[in-house]
Amino acid sequence: MTQAPAPKLTDHQPVPVSAPSGALKNLMLLLVPPIILFSMFLILYAMVRANLQEHRQFLMPSGAELWANAFGRPEVLAELAQRSLITIGIALTGLSISIPVGILLGVIMFRATILERAMFPNLVALQSIPTLAIIPLIQTALGFGTLPKVLIVAKFTMFAIPITLLLGLKSVDRGIINLFRLQGASWRTTLVKACFPSAAPALFAGLRIAASLAVISAIVSELFFLAGRGGLGQMIINSKIDFKYEQMYAALITATFLSVCVYIAFTWLGHRLFSDWHESGGKEN
Amino acid sequence: MTLQAESQPSDGAPPAGPQTGGPRPLGEVALSFENISMQFPDGTQALEDVSLTIRQNEFVSVVGPSGCGKSTLLKIASGLFPQTSGIVKVDREQLGYTFQDATLMPWRKVRGNVELLMELRGYSKAERKRIALEQIKMVGLDGFADHYPKRLSGGMRMRASLARSLALKPNVFMFDEPFGALDEITRERLNDELVSLFMRNSFTGLFITHSIPEAVYLSSKVVVMSRRPGRILKEFDIPFAYPRDPNLRFSAEFAALCNEISVSLRQAIEQ
Repeated sequence: MTQAPAPKLTDHQPVPVSAPSGALKNLMLLLVPPIILFSMFLILYAMVRANLQEHRQFLMPSGAELWANAFGRPEVLAELAQRSLITIGIALTGLSISIPVGILLGVIMFRATILERAMFPNLVALQSIPTLAIIPLIQTALGFGTLPKVLIVAKFTMFAIPITLLLGLKSVDRGIINLFRLQGASWRTTLVKACFPSAAPALFAGLRIAASLAVISAIVSELFFLAGRGGLGQMIINSKIDFKYEQMYAALITATFLSVCVYIAFTWLGHRLFSDWHESGGKEN
Repeated sequence: MTLQAESQPSDGAPPAGPQTGGPRPLGEVALSFENISMQFPDGTQALEDVSLTIRQNEFVSVVGPSGCGKSTLLKIASGLFPQTSGIVKVDREQLGYTFQDATLMPWRKVRGNVELLMELRGYSKAERKRIALEQIKMVGLDGFADHYPKRLSGGMRMRASLARSLALKPNVFMFDEPFGALDEITRERLNDELVSLFMRNSFTGLFITHSIPEAVYLSSKVVVMSRRPGRILKEFDIPFAYPRDPNLRFSAEFAALCNEISVSLRQAIEQ
């Protein structure tokens, strides 16, 4: 009989547990990594710009140029602020249509499987219509006012809402539903007291997607509806026509900033509402 | 409720109370299954001709092999599933039900969860609050009323779940393996507390479990079911008096009875 080789034992030392980090350290950990990554993108930008032929460098303005011709000039800042308000107004109005409609559609699909089967493919089809392709039709039908822009935002942002809501509503704990059934609760009571709260975190995931699309789609809509005093989208087109690329960049940067702000606002709201009880919440135990 | 003397029946309920030296007096029929059969739509025969009568103040446990239809029996009694044939006699308005999981709503604090069934029954806000706090205290969760379920241990969640059902003062209380997921120490403690809740609240109990000692410790009667399709093979009367002494678990009579039921259960599996 061969003897089993002696087991090789290794000493494992205790691992020191790091002290709980302070609020400042947490904030640093939250902010520093994305800032470093962003700086790397800036360096990449500068390198690409440096390699451009001189007569093409206007395509990628430098920081100094941006300051001199856009962010450093009060009248440009005023214009940015004013146009931001218009764009954000379109974005939020669009959301104020898409959110209730999306929630309603999600609830209708949840009501009965037959309704879900009827509606789901049609929703996907609706989502698949390329917005750009129907813009001429919208222009003819609705003109160039605010309404078509708001509707385009609503169309862009609606899709994620019923989909995530339906998923959340369907994932309610069966046991909780049984509790309601045993007490003879109505479908409405069950929806309001059990399904909605349970689905709320999933719904908020959808709202975050919708929020991040709202500003972008508002700008896209403005690009095609250039009547009157428009928002940032119009500024982008105008600065291109006027060959003011710095201002175009300024509008782009402002639009991105607004988009991020809307996203953060929804994320913050979701966190406020659910962090106490939901697994996705930040609080440990 | 906590102020009530142990021997007093709760308001308006039929006489109940601990009697030292003998089984508790039995009352009217509280729940009866008459020739219940259950076949699921996929053709699985879950129960076959099950008849079982449970009287007021009885505490009956059902043991049987996994998948023998024990839980189905409770679901039929509560009306969650309709049976294929046979009759169930029960007052469903007066039914309490505890599931395998605590099934607490994670977005409600303990008090909100305990209030849920009262809310669905239309109790006033003040009454809900009063009864909820009373029940929370009774199940030993004093001081945890404002905690979210995710901050409670498994045993504490189960206590909250019991409090939620007790709040309606059910006449018949059905338990579907409520302590199956808990560790042995917690389980025994909750068994002791369930016995004292049983003493104080005068409900009729129907308890599903995999654990023979748990069944014997809690019950006035233990029913052994066969493998699927579930039939009732044997009923054992448990002679020990309530309230039960935790040391009962280590007595020779207790061991003998557990052994007898265990033999019968093994036959049920091998059959």
